[in-house]
Amino acid sequence: MLVIRCPYCEAERPEVEFAYGGEAHIARPADPSTLTDEQWKDHLFIRTNARGTHFERWRHVHGCGRFFNAVRDTVSDKFVTTYKAGLPRPTEAELEGMRK
Amino acid sequence: MNAYRIKGKGRVDQRKPVRFSFNGTAYTGYEGDTLASALLANGVHLVGRSFKYHRPRGILSAGSEEPNALVGTDRGNGRFEPNTRATVLEVFEGLNTTSQNHWPSLKRDVGAINDALYMLFSAGFYYKTFMWPKSFWNKVYEPFIRGAAGLGKSPTVPDPDTYASRFAHCDVLVVGAGPAGLAAALEAGRSGAKVMLCDEQAELGGSLLSETNARIDGASGWDWLKAAAAELAALPNVTVLTRATAIGYYHQNLLGLCQRLTDHLASPPEGAPRERLWKVRAKQVVLAQGAIEKPLVFDGNDRPGVMLAGAARSYLNRYGVKVGNRPVVVTSHDSAWLAAYDLAEAGAKVAAIVDVRPEVAGHLKQRAAALGIEMLTGWTATGTSGRLRVASVRVNPISRNGVFGPARTIACDALLMSGGWTPSVHLFSHTKGKLDWNEEGQMFLPGERTEESRCAGAGNGSFGLAAALAEGAEAGADAAVDAGFKAKAATYKVDGEVPLMGVSSRELTTDRNASKAKAFVDFQNDVTAKDIRLAVREGFKSIEHIKRYTTNGMATDQGKTSNINGLVIASDAVRRPAPAVGLTTFRPPYTPTTFGAFAGYNRSELFEVTRKTPIDVWAEENGAVFEPVSLWRRAWYFPKPGEDMHAAVTRECKTVRETLGMFDASTLGKIEIVGPDAAEFLNRMYTNAWSKLGVGRCRYGVLLGEDGFIRDDGVIGRITSDRFHVTTTTGGAARVLAMMEDYLQTEWPDLKVWLTSITEQWAVIALQGPNARKLFEPLVEGIDLSEEGFPHMSVAEGRIYGVPTRLFRMSFTGERGYEINVPARYGRAVWEKLFEAGQQFGITPYGTETMHVLRAEKGYIIVGQDTDGTLTPEDAGLGWAIGKSKPDFVGKRSLSRPDMLKADRKQLVGLLTSDPNTVLEAGAQIVLDPNQTLPMKMVGHVTSSYWSGTLGRSIALAVVEGGRAREGATIHVPMPGRTHTARIVGTVFYDPENKRLSA
Amino acid sequence: MLHEFHSPVGREIAVGKAIPLRIRTVDDCARFSLRFDPARLAEASKAFGLALPAKIGDVAASSGRLAVQLGPDEWHLLAPLAEQGGVERAFAELYSATPHSLVDVSHREVGIEVEGTAALLALRSAIAFDIEAMPAGMGCRTIFDKAQIVLVRETEERFRIEVWRSFADHVWGILQATSREIELDI
Repeated sequence: MLVIRCPYCEAERPEVEFAYGGEAHIARPADPSTLTDEQWKDHLFIRTNARGTHFERWRHVHGCGRFFNAVRDTVSDKFVTTYKAGLPRPTEAELEGMRK
Repeated sequence: MNAYRIKGKGRVDQRKPVRFSFNGTAYTGYEGDTLASALLANGVHLVGRSFKYHRPRGILSAGSEEPNALVGTDRGNGRFEPNTRATVLEVFEGLNTTSQNHWPSLKRDVGAINDALYMLFSAGFYYKTFMWPKSFWNKVYEPFIRGAAGLGKSPTVPDPDTYASRFAHCDVLVVGAGPAGLAAALEAGRSGAKVMLCDEQAELGGSLLSETNARIDGASGWDWLKAAAAELAALPNVTVLTRATAIGYYHQNLLGLCQRLTDHLASPPEGAPRERLWKVRAKQVVLAQGAIEKPLVFDGNDRPGVMLAGAARSYLNRYGVKVGNRPVVVTSHDSAWLAAYDLAEAGAKVAAIVDVRPEVAGHLKQRAAALGIEMLTGWTATGTSGRLRVASVRVNPISRNGVFGPARTIACDALLMSGGWTPSVHLFSHTKGKLDWNEEGQMFLPGERTEESRCAGAGNGSFGLAAALAEGAEAGADAAVDAGFKAKAATYKVDGEVPLMGVSSRELTTDRNASKAKAFVDFQNDVTAKDIRLAVREGFKSIEHIKRYTTNGMATDQGKTSNINGLVIASDAVRRPAPAVGLTTFRPPYTPTTFGAFAGYNRSELFEVTRKTPIDVWAEENGAVFEPVSLWRRAWYFPKPGEDMHAAVTRECKTVRETLGMFDASTLGKIEIVGPDAAEFLNRMYTNAWSKLGVGRCRYGVLLGEDGFIRDDGVIGRITSDRFHVTTTTGGAARVLAMMEDYLQTEWPDLKVWLTSITEQWAVIALQGPNARKLFEPLVEGIDLSEEGFPHMSVAEGRIYGVPTRLFRMSFTGERGYEINVPARYGRAVWEKLFEAGQQFGITPYGTETMHVLRAEKGYIIVGQDTDGTLTPEDAGLGWAIGKSKPDFVGKRSLSRPDMLKADRKQLVGLLTSDPNTVLEAGAQIVLDPNQTLPMKMVGHVTSSYWSGTLGRSIALAVVEGGRAREGATIHVPMPGRTHTARIVGTVFYDPENKRLSA
Repeated sequence: MLHEFHSPVGREIAVGKAIPLRIRTVDDCARFSLRFDPARLAEASKAFGLALPAKIGDVAASSGRLAVQLGPDEWHLLAPLAEQGGVERAFAELYSATPHSLVDVSHREVGIEVEGTAALLALRSAIAFDIEAMPAGMGCRTIFDKAQIVLVRETEERFRIEVWRSFADHVWGILQATSREIELDI
């Protein structure tokens, strides 16, 4: 069981309190009707499936209830960082600093 | 009577005898004995038969690595466990044990024929032997394999024991309480850090318990141990767990410890759990797991009486048991010489020390000479004799250039072997920590770590007491410092310790035909050196493949005594260095662990949460039969005396249609949506339009996923302009709320609207039937129940029996219906009152089955039964519920994808069987032409199917490709025995004009 | 009014004479789930009659009222039963100026009090986070075995569990089992 830092609670909490929410930073198009079938398919189904650094969403569902974003290494299963929903994706340089 | 016990020697309490039995014979041991030590004290070496060849086997080790001595234990009252390791099992008064893998008896076993047929059972025999002829599979091979499979006997009754679990958090967790672990725990404990120390044995000490020579800081090892244990016990920040095996090391320093609480007790207290699984999260971990001795691999190394030299030393020094009166030692490592000395000093006649090394240290020889022990250095073992117990060992000298001299046979009653020591790196490996090959020691050592952990002592390749203490103290201090405490490692002065060296070897060479040697590597799975070589000859090069082909290391001991021997032999056969061949992966659990320990409290009533409604107690008292629906248990039907399910459901349906029924709908998910943007939020989430829904009105809503498929449905009522009461399916409640929160928080955080689960705030009683209004009109205050004041699909707040209510007028039966929401704690009382008042109308309580039949008669779908995650609203006949003028809602864009518009999509239709008495099976497949060749093309399946008492015939709902266009067509439903025919019809079987909703 | 039915009904577990552990269901009270703009918290505090905590995990309690902040804009409120109407009216008056959500969840939850020197040990059987490190006067939502609860550490040795009523039996069953272990000191 992982320990995950919730950026809203500012605390490390056990994985059982969380739910995984898929890849992060995929915004729902403001007006889906303007998208072609191809574009809509990509939005719905195409994901990065990264080996290594992965930006993903979690929800502290059995805690504060908030969705937030995390950077996790899918090989080592280690979290690099977590941050509040709506904040920009950390840069590679920032992540490198956090991995140290 | 303990003929091999030395009075006054060892740590068992020789004043406290314990009676136990093995294979029906009564024996006596002492408190502190394991079954193995107690049997050896009684001269019993033969304890079981091997798995494949049924060869007689004895006790190999003195610890949890034991591959051979597995027994069945019976603790009474159904407490039977197979495959208990005799070397771990503590004896207690009244313990009954039996040997395994033989028939009719341990001494005379028919299965031993396998041993003579060993050529058939060589490496990969599973894959070779049972290939042909094909016709043999069912009648010959499979019964044979099934008969031979399995180790020991399974228990025959449910486990009567209970199990516990506990979470713990600490600064430093030390695994293993040998000298390294103790030194680490002392250092960390003294720093003030919160420390946990666990050891799989009943007592702290590890290798110190078997060590009688060395002195620590001037005290004997045992005195030092006593003082260390006392100091740890006195530190309030230290928790010491004995009988607690660290079974697994998981991410972020989470370790599982399985603690045996009552297995060693003759009469455990009533209600005491048998084991507890600790889930320990540690800031720092010190692994001091020690090392495991390797057997030597030579012909006949598996006879009872052949054991590890270190084990023999443990039995002597720790348990006061001589494993034989005339032992021979055969070794490639100095440590076995110590066993010879100790046994000689205890009065055994050590017939010889056979050391494969041409030269050994002078001090070893001097001491052996002083004890009058014959030394054969540069000799090797090439065979043993003795049917049920080793009687002699055959040894040969080998010249420096490898030439064998003439064999000599030495009589013995025990043969003590040592091929050196393997550091236990199992837990370190669980973390995917890198292992480095140490060529000199022929062993893998912990390398680069992935977790906050340190290894110390023999488990880190630092053999010997002084090294273990020093490294342990340092690891403990460093761990404490890394956890934020101040610590400095103490130093220990160790006297009386001699450096111990050895060489590691593949199987011993022999002057005889090596292909006939039964030189065992894996004792539990009966894998020999030649099996491994055969696997290599047949093309297997990777150790992972060799392991699976030969099954080396795949038994319940996970190859603790066999992995490295197997690897060294494989590497020799492949002619590649050992690290290139690789080590197989260690996986949790470290030792076999009961399912009970993993289940913990989650068995019987606590297996899973069983959610019950406030009305459940009444249903139970009134004879309801229940069914599980997600985590809930729901009343399924209410049989009267003499009624079966069919009769009860038919009666319940008839009563609802004719007069009145009541149904507990409390499990329905309920969400209160509040805020100025509530209607807008619903507009975006649901397919329907909500802005114009008036206060006091409700509407059926359909929720899609973004992919356009139906996720959930339910009735939504507008309580005030800014407050909606949303209902969901029973199983979908949590999912729907999570989905709404997702959109609200991450896509539309600007909306001023908030969601609260009120599923459990309200008990819900559905009153359905033509007499519904008549029954409760006089009971309700504050709501005008007239047809005009409260038409179908209305909602209002008022009181019933003085209790606040949210009253819905809605129907899931097709009859006039109301759903009465009352605060949960009043649910049962209101239900009882209504039931009492309803007697004048002949009211019936009904369950989920009747609910299903009634709604199917009306063609109302159940999401998850009639839909399966691939149906659009159009497919399900719910196109009318789509707000087509809305610019957007979740899933809208997907509804115009080309695949969603195809004419041959599966659509929900009704089915009427040609024989009205035939009730199709839900899930049955549908074909258009029953005479086509197999496999037939399936065009759909039955989703719901019932006997409709109202219609006097069966009805069914189904999804069929292009179904609506096929209305009137005949389809075929192949079922076991015969193929049924049915006609495609509309989905509404009863009252299509909906006249009864207001009747 | 009609009779109310509880689960678990007025049950109690007591271990040891000097109360190293006592577990009981607590009396009914009014409960609300409050969602409110944290920037305007003072208005909510005034309406509730208690200064609401302003940090997730903090608890405020006074004269029968208790508030624990569960999320950035979410509070779980407890009040005496008799004051339920008053609280609802006070917040209703606020609504047009400061839209928010106050939902009555009085009947959704069962309150269980776990008290005594062994309280921590009892809770550690089923709660994964480090409750020993949780100071008195803090609270949070978490998981107890398989049930979601709100846990409030009222004092060093007294905890309050708020759990949805259909999960209460499960929580109770595990507390019973762990109490037996504590009684046997095993």
